[in-house]
Order: sequence, then C-alpha cells, then structure tokens
Amino acid sequence: MADSLPHSGLHAAFLQHRAQLLRFIAARGGGTDAEDVLQEVWLRISAAQTGPVGNPLSYLHRTANTVLIDRYRARRQATLRDRAWSETQGGSDPAVSDAPSAERIVLARDLARAVEALLARLHPPRVAAVFRRHRIDGVPQRQIAGEFGISLSTVEADLRIAYRALADLREQFDAV
Amino acid sequence: MQPDDQLKEDEALAWAVRTLDPAFADWDDFTRWLEASPAHGAAYDRIASAAVEAGEVAAPLVAANDAEDTLPVRRVNRRWFAGGLAACAAGLLTFGYWQQTAPDLHSRQTEPGQVLAISLDDGSRIDLAGDSRIELDRRNPRFARLERGRALFTVRHDDTDPFRVEAGGHELLDVGTVFDVRDDAAGFVVAVQEGAVLFDPDAAAVRLDAGDRLAIAPGSDTLTVSEVTPADIGTWRDGRLTFAGATLLEVAADLARASGHVFTVAPGAPRGSLTGSILIDAVRRDPARAGALLGVPIRRVGDSWMIGAP
Repeated sequence: MADSLPHSGLHAAFLQHRAQLLRFIAARGGGTDAEDVLQEVWLRISAAQTGPVGNPLSYLHRTANTVLIDRYRARRQATLRDRAWSETQGGSDPAVSDAPSAERIVLARDLARAVEALLARLHPPRVAAVFRRHRIDGVPQRQIAGEFGISLSTVEADLRIAYRALADLREQFDAV
Repeated sequence: MQPDDQLKEDEALAWAVRTLDPAFADWDDFTRWLEASPAHGAAYDRIASAAVEAGEVAAPLVAANDAEDTLPVRRVNRRWFAGGLAACAAGLLTFGYWQQTAPDLHSRQTEPGQVLAISLDDGSRIDLAGDSRIELDRRNPRFARLERGRALFTVRHDDTDPFRVEAGGHELLDVGTVFDVRDDAAGFVVAVQEGAVLFDPDAAAVRLDAGDRLAIAPGSDTLTVSEVTPADIGTWRDGRLTFAGATLLEVAADLARASGHVFTVAPGAPRGSLTGSILIDAVRRDPARAGALLGVPIRRVGDSWMIGAP
C-alpha cells in the first residue's frame, strides 16, 4: 500500500474494504442499521477536509467507530428524554412526579461540572492531566508518554483509571 | 458484579483506551474480540461514549493544580502583576503556571452535523457549530480565534478583562454578551443576542447592541449593519436554523454545517433572499424536504443537494 493516498484514495479504500467494514460494524453492534452506518461513514469521508491519509483502512474503521459512538449517545439521550417526559406526564400527583425530571434536567446541565470535579479527585493528579492532553488536545498516547517522561503502559493505565471513573459517573447521571 | 462481568468490563476498558488513540491500527483484533460476544460491544459503548463525552465537556485549559510536578515547566519572561500576586496568595495558581506568559494555543474542531459545547475556565461558554474550527489559549481563557465556520459565544463579562474574539481578520471585544459569529464562503457575520460587542475596536470601532447584525459580503470591505430579532440569533444551538433575508449561499453553508449533508447553490440561481425557519433534524433526515419548508427548490445531484435548481 502506498504511504499516502489522496482524498479519492479514501473512497477507493472504502469500496475495496466495504465487506470488512460491514463486518466490523455488525460485530460492534450496528446490527440491522449496518448499511445506514456505512452510508454515514461515506458521507463523513466525503465531507471531511482531510489531507492524505497514511492508513486508509484504519481511518475508515476509526470513522465507523466514531459514528457508532455518536449513535449510541443519541439513542441514550433519546431514552432519557422519553423517560423524563413520561414521568412528567404519567404521575398521579403532579407536584411529586415533576420533581425527578426537573432534577434530571438540572443534573444534565451539571455534567460538565461533575466531570471537572471527578477529574480533580483522581489520583495521582497526573491521571487527569494525561486525560485532558489525550481527549481534549487529541495528542497520541505515545507522544504523551514522551512529554510526561512516563512509559506508554503507564499512560494506558492512567487512561483506564479515568475512563472507568467517567463511565461510572455517566451511569449515576442516567440512573437519577 | 459477577467475575465474568468484571472480566468483560476490564477488557472493554482496555479496548476503549487503545481504540480511542489516534495511532491505533489493530482493528482486526478488536473485531474478533467484539465477535466473541454481543455483550462486548455494549460494554465498550458504555465506556467509550463516556470518555468521548467527558472530553467534550471538560475544560480545555489544563488547570495548574492538575499539572503540578508532572508537566515540564517552561520558564519564560518572568512577569508579575498585582492581580497575579493576589491569585498566588490565594493559592489559586501554582508558581510554574504563572511564569508562562506566551500563549499556549490549541484548536478544537467539529465534523459537519456536529455541535460542540466548550466550557471555559472563566465560566464562559462557546457552542461550536458543525464543520467549524476554533483556536483557544490555554493560558488566557478570555481569548478565542474562530478559524472557520460558526460559533455562539456566551461570555461572562468582566470590565477589567474583556473577552476578545478574532474571526475573519476582525476583532470583537465583548461588552457583556451572547453573540453569534460566522466566517465562511458566504461572508463574515456577527449578530448580538444580549449585551454589546465592539467590532474592530482599533479600526472601525462599531458598537453592536442586542439585535444588531453586522455583515461583510465575501470579497467586499463594506460593513452592513441591520436589525434582527434577538430571539432568532443562535437558534442553531437548539436545533433550529432561522433565516431572515439570507442569501442562498448563506443558506447552503448553514444547512451543510448543521446537517452533515453537502449543499451547493445552482449556477444561475435567482439572487433573491430567503426568510424562514427549519428544524435541523428534519434536514438531516430528508434534505429534499428542506426545500419545501423554505420555499426554494432543492434537488439531489450525485452525493450533494443543489439549492435553487428548478
């Protein structure tokens, strides 16, 4: 494979590896929507202003993975909205049944604050610094290891601590 | 939690860390792990989505207390000022953070169809529309440069330290404010929903109050200030596009940015202006319907949608 391919090369790679992408999407839980997800991947690579891509197959998998994460988040938001709505509408005592959904709305607004508070609590403090550098600045893990003077496996271990805590936090928000 | 579930969680966690790294390339192995059980994908989604979401809502600035002892401290231009001494005395900032006065810029960007909410350390908020890019300064939360696209700024006002936005080669200084900025192929626009903004304070120095909209057409240097309904400004953040006397070029740019579909203006389309309002979700689902709702023909041409084509 060439080191880099022009934008149209990404489309060629898409067509060439279509079956493999479809298999990935299906395994990932795309199920009956797999063709829709694939279509969205095509739209995204068409819309994105990317330069030459070094590893088109990896790039396409990453795009598909992002689409699936976005879909998961949209589904979860919709479920929460529906639940808030039915609770507001369905309660026998309006004064009481309103309370949980109102509370949930406030909590959703507070997610950013809760994330900040959680990051501040993580030990050692390097965990939060590594998380920000990776997820916010988009710096690859190997480069972070160099910047912080730690090993790549330490960077991975730090991120596992942060991701686990953040997943648990998200669950608490959903459960309220 | 059962031991099996715990194992599954640990594996999902390890895969989330590895796959969300831009350098990850081992997608075949990941696919095989996913195929071993449908529960794997579900566990992965739960963790990966929380990590991605937290990265979007967390403050982009590295707080000094997070970086203590671990980040290399660059010693440049040691400068002290009164406010700084007070902050140091209050223990809000570490010694190292303070000595750094050079900007430490980083960019955030969005894909078409995406909206990104960015919370700044000073309590201000920026909503970045789709297909847009913004540059922020880790050392100065009161600065942002819109590199392309559109953003809605909800700025916490501070008389002694005004928020400064650069966009399209212009400068905007807040006077206590919610304002929308756009810089794209359809031109430069700033519209103020609340408070006021000073446009190019060192040159034209135009003051824009709530409901004022300043526009510069592409390739022109003429400023046009008009009045708009403040409530119609920044509605895109809540999932609705509102047009008041917009050109087709502006409509195409906004529809593309918000929906993720590609929109173009038909060559020789009438130069008229368009007024109307449309839900972004509706455009996303069915781009052709946008035409009916806005009263302008939209036709599919290959992978894109052409506006104004009869």
